[in-house]
Amino acid sequence: MIVCVAVVGHQNNPLYIQSFTEADDALKLHHIVHCSLDVVDERVNNPKKSSPTLNETFLGLLYPTENYKVYGYLTNTKVKLILVTTDLDVRDADVRNFFRKFHAAYVDAVSNPFHVPGKKITSRTFAERVSTIVKSFGLSSAG
Amino acid sequence: MEPDVSIETSCMIRIAVLPMGSIAIPLFRDYTSMLVRHYTVSLSSISSFYTEHQKSPFAHQPWDSGSLRLKYMVGGSPASPWEDFQCNRKIFAVIGICHCPSSPDLHSVMDQFVTACKSYSSSVVQRCFAFCPGDSQLEDESFKGGNLILFPPADRQTQEFHLQTMMQDIAASLLMEFEKSVLQAESGGTILKTPLDSQASLSSEEVIKAKKRRLGRAQKTIGDYCLLAGSPVDANAHYSTSLELARLTGDFFWYAGAMEGSVCALLIDQMGQRDQVLDDEVKYRYNSVILHYRKSFIQDNAQRVSPLSFELEATLKLARYLCRKELAKEVVDLLTTAADGAKSLIDASDRLILYIEIARLFGTLGYHRKAAFFSRQVAQLYLQQENRLAAISSMQVLAMTTQAYRVQSRASTDHALYQESGQNHADGGKAHHNWIVSLFESQWSSIQMVVLKEILLSAVRGGDPLTAWSAAARLLRSYYPLITPAGQNGLASALSNASQRLPSGTRCADPALPFIRLHSFPLHSSQQDIVKRNHGRDDWWAGSAPSGPFIYTPFSKGEPSQSSKQELVWVVGEAVQVFVELANPCGFDLKVDSIYLSVNSGNFDAFPISVSLPPNSSKVIALSGIPTEVGSLKIPGCIVHCFGVITEHYFKDVDNLLVGAAQGLVLSDPFRCCGSPKLKNVTVPNISVVPPLPLLISCVVGCDGAIILYEGEIREVQISVANAGTVPIEQAHISLSGKNQDSIQSIAYETLKSSLPLKPGAEVRIPVTLKAWQLGFLDPDAASSKNISGSSGKQVKDGCSPVLLIHYAGPLAYSGDASTNGTIPPGRRLVVPLNICVSQGLSLVKARLLSMEIPAHVGEDHSKVQVETSSVEGSPRTDRFMKIDPYRGSWGLRFLELELSNPTDVVFEIGVSVNMEDSNNEENPEYDYPKTRIDRDYTARVLIPLEHFKLPVLDGTFLVKESQMNRIASRKSSFSEKSSKAEFNASIKNLISKIKVRWQSGRNNSGELNIKDAIQSALQSSVMDVLLPDPLTFGFRCGNNTVQDFAELNLDEESDIQGARKGSVRAHDMTPIEVLVRNNTKEMIKVSLSITCRDIAGENCVEGDKATVLWAGVLSSVTMEVPPLKEYRHSFSLYFLVPGEYTLLAAAVIDDANEMLRARAGANSCDEPIFCRGPPFHIRVNGTI
Repeated sequence: MIVCVAVVGHQNNPLYIQSFTEADDALKLHHIVHCSLDVVDERVNNPKKSSPTLNETFLGLLYPTENYKVYGYLTNTKVKLILVTTDLDVRDADVRNFFRKFHAAYVDAVSNPFHVPGKKITSRTFAERVSTIVKSFGLSSAG
Repeated sequence: MEPDVSIETSCMIRIAVLPMGSIAIPLFRDYTSMLVRHYTVSLSSISSFYTEHQKSPFAHQPWDSGSLRLKYMVGGSPASPWEDFQCNRKIFAVIGICHCPSSPDLHSVMDQFVTACKSYSSSVVQRCFAFCPGDSQLEDESFKGGNLILFPPADRQTQEFHLQTMMQDIAASLLMEFEKSVLQAESGGTILKTPLDSQASLSSEEVIKAKKRRLGRAQKTIGDYCLLAGSPVDANAHYSTSLELARLTGDFFWYAGAMEGSVCALLIDQMGQRDQVLDDEVKYRYNSVILHYRKSFIQDNAQRVSPLSFELEATLKLARYLCRKELAKEVVDLLTTAADGAKSLIDASDRLILYIEIARLFGTLGYHRKAAFFSRQVAQLYLQQENRLAAISSMQVLAMTTQAYRVQSRASTDHALYQESGQNHADGGKAHHNWIVSLFESQWSSIQMVVLKEILLSAVRGGDPLTAWSAAARLLRSYYPLITPAGQNGLASALSNASQRLPSGTRCADPALPFIRLHSFPLHSSQQDIVKRNHGRDDWWAGSAPSGPFIYTPFSKGEPSQSSKQELVWVVGEAVQVFVELANPCGFDLKVDSIYLSVNSGNFDAFPISVSLPPNSSKVIALSGIPTEVGSLKIPGCIVHCFGVITEHYFKDVDNLLVGAAQGLVLSDPFRCCGSPKLKNVTVPNISVVPPLPLLISCVVGCDGAIILYEGEIREVQISVANAGTVPIEQAHISLSGKNQDSIQSIAYETLKSSLPLKPGAEVRIPVTLKAWQLGFLDPDAASSKNISGSSGKQVKDGCSPVLLIHYAGPLAYSGDASTNGTIPPGRRLVVPLNICVSQGLSLVKARLLSMEIPAHVGEDHSKVQVETSSVEGSPRTDRFMKIDPYRGSWGLRFLELELSNPTDVVFEIGVSVNMEDSNNEENPEYDYPKTRIDRDYTARVLIPLEHFKLPVLDGTFLVKESQMNRIASRKSSFSEKSSKAEFNASIKNLISKIKVRWQSGRNNSGELNIKDAIQSALQSSVMDVLLPDPLTFGFRCGNNTVQDFAELNLDEESDIQGARKGSVRAHDMTPIEVLVRNNTKEMIKVSLSITCRDIAGENCVEGDKATVLWAGVLSSVTMEVPPLKEYRHSFSLYFLVPGEYTLLAAAVIDDANEMLRARAGANSCDEPIFCRGPPFHIRVNGTI
């Protein structure tokens, strides 16, 4: 189950963080996302070791922490998409698929002419779409 | 668990360092720092202290290259239960440090030392170092050969050398002790136990296995000693044996321990050389170590003791060994495993240490966020300990995380970033970039706020008010939009509580509220303008200011306002002001105890002021100060004393914040949410301070604000000019500028000139005569606005008043200052705006010409007939009333009637004066007429008799042209027409200029009405009649000389009786009458005179037709020739039959009239007879009694 998704700007500024848990652990998830940036930074700075091809946007598992696994995705504009999940065995293909849809949603959101680049994404449509994607991730992995 | 573990920890000899006697902490630290420098002691250096008592068990000791590693446990440490397992955990030596001057009794120190050493049962070497002993202590022989070592006072170098020798001695002793221990262990006398296997070994039935196990453990211990003794080869041999035995006996724990030792031996043997093969070997072996530690986990005593901490320690050791960027992934995996293991740790302090180590390793790896995350965990563990020291530790750990979370205190950041960013362009860009990044990262507000709150909490608990203040300030300043008003109030009270525990005047690097931005730098007030002096020119100010009619010139470099902003000149000793805007976006009242400009260059005295800001408000305030020294001056921000602490607020910070807010990167713009309008970014100009200049201050004497004048009012005002500077004024010049310059009638330039040089403090009064301009003509909009504002009539309007410019300057060189080599101090310009308010005064409604026709009486006085022509001599100047002589009449007298209205609320008095400037009078006679009073809101008419303007002679010069004009009109000669017209107009103007209508209101308001145009239009049609005399004047008188004499005789006594009789004629009497005909021209005139006498009932008998003529008689065709400018008298007699009022009328037809006369008469054709008629004269005929 996905507990948190986040969009982090190219200056490591959070653009969108949404947790999908009932528990009051938003701060913890913020910390997890924040810490994952270390790994993203490290992979970006040493690209030859992390990913076989330069154009690979999917960063894979960033790090496991406590009960969570953190996956990362880096767009060409250095926007990071972060996924925190509690599922222990996640298929890479599922995560890739999720990130592709998530990326498309993000692109649509920032294509809004009223969106100011660098500002937090406040679009409700985006939020709805992301939550749909998150729900479908759970379904597809189950099925 | 222990902090700071690494693979090499296994080969370090622990030495406890304890303070002895009474020793100051800094001094102890100083001695310790000298000591800890000797963390390795090479074997070669200790060989001289080493004596071989028996054959050394360390067969392969590398005497030439090896060394002993020492680890100083400052303050000592408690004994570990795992000492048997790992020998390096033992404290082998105790060093006491004593400062002799503060603890003179060395015996008691030694006693204390011996007691202290007792708690270190494993220690084999004890030394007490006593520094700086006195002479008596040095001479005390009782310590010779003991453990007390005195370090005689000497310079640092000598002391260090002495210390080094002592350490080598200790190292040698330790080496010898290790040899003993090894020999003892080989004998197998001791049973080595760990807390882990205390019960398990007892239950063991297999004696052989137990013996082997004991042997294996002994071998490991020997290996440990070999490692400590710096002999890795020996150690490796023993470890190999131990590993074999442990593997056989299934003693996994000791197997892992031996493996750890073997890795350490391997590393020492490699002497710091690292390569891939070695790394792989270490990794492989350590993975095995970790595995075996895990294997040694025994379920039944897991509650009490667990090898988990060793497993984690091993993990950390490996992580530390591998900790490099290239291997980040492996290290992260190790650390993640370690962090996961933390939950199983029983001891809280173990977990603390683990987290500390994980945080440090992540930090080393460059994973600052993770390091910060674990540091925060550490801080939370500290906070759980609920004591003050732990809280302080928590606070300090959190302070380390602030950089990763971008909430660091400004005290810890580079000040250069704030200061220099404007200086160097490249650096500035970089700094800007850094700043932008920090701005972006500052959006993790939820995390950041938590960190700051925790710092605040730990600082409060730990009793560090300054840190608490700083944290609360950062929290409030950065996150106020996310904090509820109640929370803001809580922070405000936290700030004030913290400040109560701070000494007054404490400074903090982190500003709290309010937000301060630069509002504007007022340029010099017009009073203090500095003008560059153009040396060598008399008008030295010329060319310094942009001149010309254009506000913008394309040739001037840059924007004029821009350039003036870049350079600002302040003068030493003259107060200046800077406007700043403060904002308090929070929900509480903010009281700023004092705020003043912060100037680093130290040549500025700033004046603090205190401000109070209501919730959610902003305020623009002026901060002032006085530059004190010549040089450049920078104002980076303000010093604010608020919430009991002094902070410096940089303008740049707020500017950045506002930029961020504009880009949507920062939560909120504090000024905008306070309702302050958006402001252009104000740059701090380069301010240079120049030496003192003279300073003129002006004021208009006797009026505070505007000089209120009525239209046309003339007043002399005094402008007081004082030198408020410290330098005398040597040059000064007044010039005029602005609109309505002609309203200044005179300025006493000489007064200023004569008072130069104007010493400091001196004052001059310059009289200036002002005349108020006409309202309606110059600013019609003002007049219209007056209509709106009712009858107040006051016009305060900028820009229509004239301005006095006073350029002034001090001496040509700075007094006694060689540093300014040859530059001329600038001059200054004082702008004195004469704030004139012209209020509407009297206004002319209309002007018209009236004629008054009063017939004269026929009297006896002959001379009076001529008054019409010669009245100039007869009337005294002081005659203020116009008198109509009954014997002269005022036939043809014309009055100029001015209708004036007074819309003001004061009373005006109108005085008319006529100024005669005739060439035949040496003095200018003036006719003053009595004053007319016009009350407020009333209209009055003023009559001006136009009686004295008639020329004495009907001169051709004027009329020829006039007549020519008539003739020329047919010829259409435009040139002469024009010239004659001009002449004509000039004469009218001349006439008009003689009439002055002055008014007076109150005591000191007086002026002149400007009504020339009105008079001119009124006079235009009939100016000829006013100006020119008739060619002939007629007069009548009774020819009776006796009557005249009689009248003259009795004039004084019986004037009334005689006056009644005078001029009276009886009926039925022959009355001799003379008619006087005067020729006013310069030529002989031949006339045919006719005299009509009628008795009429009506007033006007001249026209004849309407009047009822009762009696009439005509005397006609009296031909006479009148010489030029002479009179001709024609006597005749009348016999009245009926008493009554008769009118005598003389008329003449001029024969052979010349051009001039025709022109005067306005004749149209040459054949027309020129008819001349005199005024009617009354004659009263009394009846006979």
